[in-house]
Amino acid sequence: MDESLTPGTKGNLTGSARKLKDNAADWHNFILKWDRLNDEGSTTATKIVNLVLSKEPVKETSLLAGADADLAITPPMGADTLRSVKALEEECSKLQEIVEKMTRVVSKMEKIVSSERGICDLETFKFGAKGRDCPLFLSWPTSDFADVSTRLCKCYRQELALKQLILQELAHTSDPQLSMVYLSAWLYQPYVDDQTKLLLESLLLETGHRTL
Amino acid sequence: MDQIGVSTCHQNLKQCFHTLETNHKAWNSVLTECTPLVSSLGNLGEQLRALDNIQVGVTQLHHFPDLQERLRFKLLQAVDVVLGKLTNKMDELQKLLKTLSNQVSTVFQFYEQNTDTLDLATCTLRSATSPSIADMLEWLQDANSYYRQQFLRRKHLLQVLRPDDLSLVEEVPKRWESVDSPDGEEHISDTLSRVSFFVDS
Repeated sequence: MDESLTPGTKGNLTGSARKLKDNAADWHNFILKWDRLNDEGSTTATKIVNLVLSKEPVKETSLLAGADADLAITPPMGADTLRSVKALEEECSKLQEIVEKMTRVVSKMEKIVSSERGICDLETFKFGAKGRDCPLFLSWPTSDFADVSTRLCKCYRQELALKQLILQELAHTSDPQLSMVYLSAWLYQPYVDDQTKLLLESLLLETGHRTL
Repeated sequence: MDQIGVSTCHQNLKQCFHTLETNHKAWNSVLTECTPLVSSLGNLGEQLRALDNIQVGVTQLHHFPDLQERLRFKLLQAVDVVLGKLTNKMDELQKLLKTLSNQVSTVFQFYEQNTDTLDLATCTLRSATSPSIADMLEWLQDANSYYRQQFLRRKHLLQVLRPDDLSLVEEVPKRWESVDSPDGEEHISDTLSRVSFFVDS
């Protein structure tokens, strides 16, 4: 089974080339899924912030009533407050679900990285440290695939860590400025930069999913 | 000769008012498209301001030391995208302005070349269905200068924006709205209804 006989051909790729091409397609799909989850999460996060900030006046009055010990411990809960607390709880668990889904996406990304490292090891075993003579696709040595996947994965792992922090903090932040920063950090994904997009596109180009 | 001059002048005026009418609608629809862009620009300004105001060190975000820089870059990038879209909208407005200005100057040129036949008495003569030539020329000039002023004020507003002066970016929606001139708009609508009989005749 010599996959180097069929470099870049469509349909009948086998072995490492098949696996790398499928991985590239997976990258594309995972990132799409991630972006969808990101949009969903952004809507939910905005709702959470609105609920938290609209709840604030109630908190203030309970603080003002601090002289009365009973009131301070169990501030009176009107039907509206109860409803908004419930809504807040619902939105928070929705956001938690989204972050869990994102975590699953990242763990699948990590699997790609480990499978590509495996492919590299296999090549080293077959062809020595120099690797194969002829590239599997257009020009990339096999190690480049693992490098690109590692870099992509690193971005999303970092982004996930940020989302997890936002999830923890968002509903407990009463500072509107900080809430706004959390929201924009969620939406604009500071760790997914232009370089990430470029890496993905070059991966798709190399594996023939995109044509020149 | 008198009559020919007057009727050509009327013809030119009609054409000009037609353009004014289509431009009036097109202008307002472009402005409507600008509204969400302008408000998202203001929103981005607020987000940038919030990012500047928080002390990352004392929040949980201190786990992400480069976050502030990265997020600022992303937000400024988003500002650029919105500004790019607004610039396209401004180009559309400029095109509309140019069409109208050209037509208006054509009418004025015709009038200036035919002042012999279009004397004071002819120009100030009006009837039940047709306003006087002098009035119509004045209305066109008013409309033209109104649109020019509107365009320049909006363009200037966008041109003075700087990434290091957030208050300007934040205030864009307010300042954009302050350029709106209901009186000027009403004036254009009035003009169009005053000439509607004349244009259709």
